[in-house]
Amino acid sequence: MSDTQPPLAARYRATPPDVSVWDPLLRLTHWSFPLLIPALWWTAENHKYALHKRLGLVLLGLLVFRLLWGFFGPETARFAQFVKGPKAVLAYLRGDRSAGPAVGHSPLGGWSTLVLLLAMLAQVSLGLFAGDPFDGATGPLNGLVGARLADTITELHETLFWAIAGLIGLHLAAICFYAAKGDDLLSPMVGGAIPPAEGVTGIGPTPWVRGVLACGLAAGLALWVAYGAPPIS
Amino acid sequence: MSRLPAPRLLLSAMLVCGLAACSGGDSAPTKEPPPIIKERQANFKAIGGAFKAVRGELESDAPDFALIAAKANDINARAQQIPNHFPALTSTEDDYDTEALPAIWKKPEEFKAAAAKLADESAKLATLAGGGDKEAVGAQAMAMGGACKGCHDQFRFDDEKK
Ligand code: HEC
Ligand code: HEM
Repeated sequence: MSDTQPPLAARYRATPPDVSVWDPLLRLTHWSFPLLIPALWWTAENHKYALHKRLGLVLLGLLVFRLLWGFFGPETARFAQFVKGPKAVLAYLRGDRSAGPAVGHSPLGGWSTLVLLLAMLAQVSLGLFAGDPFDGATGPLNGLVGARLADTITELHETLFWAIAGLIGLHLAAICFYAAKGDDLLSPMVGGAIPPAEGVTGIGPTPWVRGVLACGLAAGLALWVAYGAPPIS
Repeated sequence: MSRLPAPRLLLSAMLVCGLAACSGGDSAPTKEPPPIIKERQANFKAIGGAFKAVRGELESDAPDFALIAAKANDINARAQQIPNHFPALTSTEDDYDTEALPAIWKKPEEFKAAAAKLADESAKLATLAGGGDKEAVGAQAMAMGGACKGCHDQFRFDDEKK
């Protein structure tokens, strides 16, 4: 207001703004995973199946949202931006940083994203059919398969968890590896932005309308599945 | 949106995880279950497996009726064991990892009758399986399933009903 403090204001103006790389919905979805996965494991280990089922359906909704976001979200959320062919992955592994986009997943990180998301989706889908009606809890779609298939599915549901735990271990190891190299991936996944850098432009504003639509669609699908996927109409 | 320093974040995340791990350990039942609880659970698990095998067989076009009869006989023998597996102080109220509700000890006659009903229905299933009529065997398998449900509804803890 007064002109007694221009130096500070000037310094603010001189600093370019942070570059936005991950939108809020993508980050919210991401951070729900480290909350939900251990909770799902714990509720299963301790036979808290009522809660286990509810959390599983929440995870289903989040994963469906993330898949929709991979087509309708901002640039860095889109599969088309970060799922690259083997050539780009090999080039990136050889140290060619131009093989990937300036912001968002690297060609290698893109595949790890896809594998993590699909592994979790497979796990949740198996859970929908798992269980035995004469032995406690069953997934909401258990009635659609026979006793034999349900039994196989239940065993797969138990085994696949350990594969996912392994993938998460790899995920965390990779983040530590980059951190050790001085490449901080964690802060942008939390705060959404990276420090300004020459020639790097971030994602645009979050497309909230599409975001709300995708959330609605994902929640609707999860609810429909929760009620045993009844015929519509 | 502002940037955040990663080291501080990592530290707080580790703290949260550490706390969660500690509290998670506390709420699980603490006592090592006596052998009888493990024995009855193994017995029920085998009953469950046998019944699953019966239903699996009935899903095929040409069920193996000899196998169904054998499984039914196995369930029958195990059903007769059930009443011997529930000594006092082994219910959900005794801090063990068990699903045996206190109702078992409050209504011992009804619990015994529920076990006897399973013995009955499984004997019928074994006899019918000898006849090789898929429809009749299927109906009796479901009737036996009713005996499982009937007992579980009253005497087994169900997290989804509470
Ligand atoms: C007389 C009552 C009764 C009948 C009949 C009965 N159950 Fe149970 N069942 C129980 C109780 C009580 C438990 C919990 C035992 C525990 O946790 O200590 C149980 C537990 C189980 C378990 C879980 C075992 C474990 O700990 O892994 C299975 C599986 C099972 N029953 C299947 C069946 C099937 C299948 C039938 C019918 C063919 C059946 N039960 C009939 C009372 C019964
Ligand atoms: C259950 C545990 C976890 C799962 C399943 C998981 C899954 C994922 C997935 C699918 C992505 C891709 C993001 C997207 O495009 O949607 C991702 C990215 C990321 N995750 Fe996780 N995550 C888990 C835990 C964590 C934890 C505990 C941390 C931090 C210590 C973390 C840090 C990150 C970072 C920094 C990225 C961005 C990587 C990049 O820049 O390419 N994740 N994670």
